Amino acid sequence: MADLLSLVGVNKVYGQKVKTHVLKDINLAFKKQEFSAIIGQSGSGKSTLLNILGTLDRPSSGTVYSNERNLSSLSDDELAVFRNRMMGFIFQFHYLLPEFSALENVLIPHWLGQGNPPPDILKLAKQLLDRVGVSERMNNKSTDLSGGQQQRVAIARALINRPGVILADEPTGNLDSDSAEQVNQLMREINEEFGTTFIIVTHDRHIAARCDRVVEIKDGAIVQDYLTAEREERENWEELAPRYCNLRKGEVEWVNKR
Amino acid sequence: MFIWKAAFRFLIEGRSQTLFIAVGIAIGISVLIFLNILITGLQQDLVNTTVGSSPHIVVSSREDPLQSLFPAEENKVVLSRTGGLFDTTRPLNEWDHLIEQLGRRELFTAVSPVAEGSGFLSRGEKNVSVRIRGVDLNRADPIYNIEERMVEGDFMVGKSQVLIGVDLAEELDLAPGDLIRLSNLEGTASSYTIRGIFDLGSQAINASWIFISLDGAQTIYQLSNAITGLELQLEDVFQAEELARRLEQSFPELSWSSWEEENPDLLSALSSQGISSYVIQAFVLLAVALGISSVLAVSVMQKSRQIGILKALGISTAGVSRIFLIQGALLGLLGSLIGSFLGALLLLSFFTFTADEAGMPLFPISFDPLVFIFAIAVATLAGMGAAAIPARRAAKLNTIEVIKNG
Ligand SMILES: Nc1ncnc2c1ncn2[C@@H]1O[C@H](COP(=O)(O)OP(=O)(O)OP(=O)(O)O)[C@@H](O)[C@H]1O
Ligand SMILES: [Mg+2]
Repeated sequence: MADLLSLVGVNKVYGQKVKTHVLKDINLAFKKQEFSAIIGQSGSGKSTLLNILGTLDRPSSGTVYSNERNLSSLSDDELAVFRNRMMGFIFQFHYLLPEFSALENVLIPHWLGQGNPPPDILKLAKQLLDRVGVSERMNNKSTDLSGGQQQRVAIARALINRPGVILADEPTGNLDSDSAEQVNQLMREINEEFGTTFIIVTHDRHIAARCDRVVEIKDGAIVQDYLTAEREERENWEELAPRYCNLRKGEVEWVNKR
Repeated sequence: MFIWKAAFRFLIEGRSQTLFIAVGIAIGISVLIFLNILITGLQQDLVNTTVGSSPHIVVSSREDPLQSLFPAEENKVVLSRTGGLFDTTRPLNEWDHLIEQLGRRELFTAVSPVAEGSGFLSRGEKNVSVRIRGVDLNRADPIYNIEERMVEGDFMVGKSQVLIGVDLAEELDLAPGDLIRLSNLEGTASSYTIRGIFDLGSQAINASWIFISLDGAQTIYQLSNAITGLELQLEDVFQAEELARRLEQSFPELSWSSWEEENPDLLSALSSQGISSYVIQAFVLLAVALGISSVLAVSVMQKSRQIGILKALGISTAGVSRIFLIQGALLGLLGSLIGSFLGALLLLSFFTFTADEAGMPLFPISFDPLVFIFAIAVATLAGMGAAAIPARRAAKLNTIEVIKNG
């Protein structure tokens, strides 16, 4: 099966005179339905990597592919169309548009891609808001929502066009631990329900441990890329199931205690 | 469409900013409208008092080359307040055909054939030099408004029945029903009855003009069926010169002279007045456009977050531009709508405050809806044009920069 998203020999260099080599010859591929974390120290190049994966930024050299399609050859407007159809974004600073209500914010990607939303899309938007637990406040101005609620609306927005992949840059970085937990839970559930691929940049090893796969970068290079215990656990689920059947799947303590 | 919605929301969210610039635009546009209507009214009034009751174009035979060697005083064509003076030695013979052709052009509000010449009026001892003008009253009246300005007697002329001016009547102590003798320059004289007395508002005319029927004058000057010229009036007086030149091309054997040729001073006054008004209007518009442009430039900065996120979500660069172009146009439209209202108010109050005791305005003005429509259209377009630079900047905004800097 073709990789959903892959980087081949990607470099990113900033600056004209003083050159900062932020990404060094990155080769990386993500499969459909994978739930991955990108971790690393501050300044290691995580966001840069994610932005290149998300076609928000272009590599200095190297190529970005999606299902064997070379994205580097597309124009800005073609990339915009590609992003609109294929990608959902969740950022640290939730970035809802304050001029629009929660529901309208969720509808924006559809609006941009296909124009005025028909009833079934409106229904989907409401379902998604319900799913992320903000349906009661869907007609509120987005600025009237709490940080956690806003981030959950952003998740609903990322899902409205039913994209293949969702890219999240420290989605819980700005939230208290309870809200962070809710948002993480939600992303995991969506991953399982809709089969959406997630690539999440995070500082939090806690969160990373609950992903299927962890990619660690240091000074712009990949230093580790491994499947987590849980993923291995799940692959061995059938074998292990009888032993842990009374434990809820996905609980952190369970993973960490092992 | 999303971009329209976004443009509206951006404007509505920037409440005080939007209102502020809208009021600024409104003031500019109200000045524009005020000035435009005022100057137009003023010019129309000036032109009206000058040429409202005289022909706009006068047609006569080309000057006979022989004649011009011995230019007699009488042969000079002088228009302005005294109207055309035609030369009886250069008659127009086939004028029926000409009138028919001109009449077919709907440009003319009046086409009046004239047979005229100089002569003398004698009454008892007294002998006065006069202008004997043979006209078809029904055709001449739209030009001179004689009927409305009759002072005494009847509004009619005949082969031996005439109308004379008030000053002439006063000088010679004449009244309707009186008999006078008129003679041409050669001295051939006959008797005529005065039917009425007019006051055309100009001393020169009132003291010398005598209206008689066309055939009456043709008899005096032995023109048989010929006339000495045609007097034309147009819907739009400002077309006279251009039209005269065009007609000259079609009828080169005739001389076409417009009021504009005969009133160069008035014309240059009008045009310099017009130009200064346009210069002011252009600068007002420029100020309005700069205002819109700078407000939108600020707005682009304020909305850079939103622009960045919209780009991440897949808006096209043209889409981003359009959001700001629409905002510019909407600001122009909103401002000019308020401005139209303010401008109308300004005009009304101006004419109320400057009205005379009887409540009559200084001069008549018309609230030409075209001026308002034009101002609104221009302001809307100027708003869109002013938005071009901010819109470009918005389109070029880098998503990464915006997202990175929270
Ligand atoms: N526009 C730029 N010009 C120059 N250097 C840049 C630019 N953007 C990023 N960098 C540098 O690239 C490096 C990687 O930045 P990046 O934002 O990807 O790090 P990060 O891993 O996301 O860090 P953090 O965890 O703090 O978000 C940093 O050293 C940063 O200074
Ligand atoms: Mg980062």
